[in-house]
Amino acid sequence: MKLRLEKKDFRSFLQGLIETYDLFAPVQLVEGVSVFRKIDRPEEVDLTHPNPQKPAKDLFFPQSEVMLRYEKAGEQTSVIPVDEVKRERVLFGARPCDIEAISTLEKVFVGKEYTDVYFLEKRKKTTIIGLGCNHPLSTCFCSSAGGDPFLRAGSDLFFIDLGEAYFVELLTEKGMAFQKNPFLKEANPKDLVLVKELEEKAFEKVGFSIPIGGIEKRLDLMAESAFWDRVHEGCIGCRICTYLCPTCHCFDIVDEGDSQRGQRVRNWDSCLSPLYSLETSGHNPRPTGRERTRQRLMHKFNYFPKSFNQVACVGCGRCILYCPIHFDIRKAILWTSSKRPKAF
Amino acid sequence: MIQQKIRDIAKDLLAKKTVDLIIGFGEGTLPLRVTPRFIRSPEKVDRLIWNSFCENNLATYFHKFSRFKLGLVVKGCDARSVTALSLEKRFQPGQVFMIGVPCQRMVDRRKVSRAVKGEILQAREEGDLIYVKGDEFEVSLKRDDFLYSSCQACTHRNPTHADVMVGDPVEESPLKESYHEAKEFEKMSPEERWRFFEKETSRCIRCYACREVCPMCYCSECFVDSSNPKWIEKSFSPSDLQFYHIVRAYHQTGRCSGCGACERACPMEIRLTYLTQKLNQDVKDLFDFETGLDSEVPPPLSTFEIDDKQEFIK
Amino acid sequence: MKNPYLPIPMRVKKATIETTDRMLRTLELSFLNEEDGKNFSFVPGQFCELSILGKGEAPFGIASSPTENGSLRFTINKAGLVTTALHQIEEGSEIGIRGPLGNGYPIELFKGKNVLVIGGGFAFTTLRSLIVYLLHPENRPKVKGITVIYGARMPGLLLYKEELATWQKRRDLNLVVTVDWGDMDWKGKVGLVPNVLEEVAPSSKDTYAVICGPPIMIKFTFPKLMALRFPYDRIFTSLERRMKCGIGKCGRCNIGHLYVCKDGPVFSYAELEKLPKDY
Repeated sequence: MKLRLEKKDFRSFLQGLIETYDLFAPVQLVEGVSVFRKIDRPEEVDLTHPNPQKPAKDLFFPQSEVMLRYEKAGEQTSVIPVDEVKRERVLFGARPCDIEAISTLEKVFVGKEYTDVYFLEKRKKTTIIGLGCNHPLSTCFCSSAGGDPFLRAGSDLFFIDLGEAYFVELLTEKGMAFQKNPFLKEANPKDLVLVKELEEKAFEKVGFSIPIGGIEKRLDLMAESAFWDRVHEGCIGCRICTYLCPTCHCFDIVDEGDSQRGQRVRNWDSCLSPLYSLETSGHNPRPTGRERTRQRLMHKFNYFPKSFNQVACVGCGRCILYCPIHFDIRKAILWTSSKRPKAF
Repeated sequence: MIQQKIRDIAKDLLAKKTVDLIIGFGEGTLPLRVTPRFIRSPEKVDRLIWNSFCENNLATYFHKFSRFKLGLVVKGCDARSVTALSLEKRFQPGQVFMIGVPCQRMVDRRKVSRAVKGEILQAREEGDLIYVKGDEFEVSLKRDDFLYSSCQACTHRNPTHADVMVGDPVEESPLKESYHEAKEFEKMSPEERWRFFEKETSRCIRCYACREVCPMCYCSECFVDSSNPKWIEKSFSPSDLQFYHIVRAYHQTGRCSGCGACERACPMEIRLTYLTQKLNQDVKDLFDFETGLDSEVPPPLSTFEIDDKQEFIK
Repeated sequence: MKNPYLPIPMRVKKATIETTDRMLRTLELSFLNEEDGKNFSFVPGQFCELSILGKGEAPFGIASSPTENGSLRFTINKAGLVTTALHQIEEGSEIGIRGPLGNGYPIELFKGKNVLVIGGGFAFTTLRSLIVYLLHPENRPKVKGITVIYGARMPGLLLYKEELATWQKRRDLNLVVTVDWGDMDWKGKVGLVPNVLEEVAPSSKDTYAVICGPPIMIKFTFPKLMALRFPYDRIFTSLERRMKCGIGKCGRCNIGHLYVCKDGPVFSYAELEKLPKDY
């Protein structure tokens, strides 16, 4: 169903959502820094920053999440799981890359044998309103990673900024629940023409230049390549790329508290940290940056595809924008192909 | 030109095998960005560049490449870090060859990005102007309007103890007062200070980029990773975030060269240098010591003398 | 929907120190809820995450066999935070487990074949589970010959000493226990496991080998297995890695695209050959 929302009604539309749902949207923390956060007032939504630093995965797989609480009373210890989501949620303003990443994470967290109930509960109880990218950045390469700036898949509703109004498409059952929304009017033919123009412009800007297609097979041949000795050199082993990556999903589980009361918490972790695979005996299967950087890139472009038939990268470009030493993953991908540049 | 001189010196050092590895700066794939370059053979030295965006402190790579004899391209602040590391006996004498570049002050790329509307697609530096071009703009900006705050107050732009200097020394004429961020902070009331600190640290995502870029953070087990005793939890209670930043700042006392790499690395743009500036200022006042200037005098918090000042012990 | 991160409540029925250096302690755990006990079915080689609330979790191979009804046994080496807590926990206390996890030894493949079990040090825990299982009257007829070579550095460091003594007396099992260094009371064999293997020289014909031990032992024993002509797809081992979730979600224990917790910990050497050497 194709509708439109006048910009003048935008705040009222959001207010309506706030009354019914827990609404999550991009919020600016300081100039140039934004995250997805639960908002209480429509004014808090800020869409000036192209893509928030912290990806939308934070809503389904929070950076820090209490899994269970325990309390000892006498001899009895009660363990209380914290896996329920009380109120339905709406995620507004996530870009197609972030939304595609949620589907990628679903492949890991929802398995045949074990299902991560924490992720699944949040996923089931969230309506996703995607936002198309009229102006992809030069660091965006979503098309090369199997997506595109206006990819609808994964969204329940899809918004496209037309200037004076948003073009709104209702895509799924959850989306169709909005058809009676008082602020959504029928789209007019001019809107559809403008949407097509914007889509074409954006596709052209993003292009298809990063050779992700076939990378799994190419990396099969590179397991012991000298390439790994060079690619890790600049990496300082922080966690920015991992934490800001919409598809990275490694986590740590720690207990906080004492023998009487406390909680078991899961926090994001990164395979680039030296402690990640360090065993208590002192043995570390990935002792240097070389093995760890290889692990990260191989996981994204070789191991994950072996298990799930897709790469674990959506081309959002955050790792390129925020890496303190300006590691560019596109260079690494290019290097695996015949298009390799002269220098890594 | 500085860039060519750096290449010539690097070529010479590698050809004569004075060093095994040169670490300098190379072209980035994005405008306004550079990336560290690791050069092992004389033929590859033309990958080294020099411009006002060479903002990283390359001394931090020392710990990763400690098996090699290194040639490091250093600015004034970076050179002081190297000297500080040598006093902490992190490397053997003669293991690090400093290629010192008198610093023209580095440009804050984030400030430049914010001066225009839209993404910067091309940029070039020419004299004291920076030309930036995007889809809908093309402007020239005055370089001096966009310098990093720490660079504006710098009084040690000429690398001390460099093994070779690339170019003539520059005049140490700071554009701002020393420790000005700390002084600004001190003007606030205690409540205002706490609110500022709380607001800044609340954005922290525990990525530890500030720790990893810092040349002085090299502990094999950082206090945040210690589980026995456990000093700090790994999750996000405000007190844990505040504790991390305060303690990391304290661990820099007498060791921090004020290079600003921590703040430049933070993806959430958390202000950090006001804390270390305050500690550096105190060390200057109490012990008349500034990090990395003297290659003999150890940092004051690593030693003690019987007649050390004690007024701050209450 | 079952939450796979919630521990099953257990009680510490019995705790015994196994070794003279006091670094290895065996815990016998019983289910607090009968229902949990009834639903818990496992095969030798699988492991559980033992959970001490407030300290954390750690993975341990199940040392008891599914044929031993009721309680589960785990032998714990004192090394870090969680294992120290497991060494301090008293009989009668509550503890949690999550499991059974992992893939277990390929018992089905052993039918009608000989089994050679080689263990070193405290890696013997899941091998005990396997041996007790195979020796059970219902299972023993299903395999042909069973040879066990078990070595420890010193006599005091052998696990399950009483059990080893009863196994020595059995005719349906060839058990060779060896130590690197003997002591005054030790009457048994003295020799490194790789050399003992060479001496015993079991035939590789129709034989599956299962080897568990410290990396150094495996490094020197493996060439002896090659000399005896064991093919890669008939040598199995159980790998160890730092683990957290134990169910293939947290990403930590991967070797290539496989997870040691979910696709392992038991792997054949044929499988390992195809994977990166991240272990």
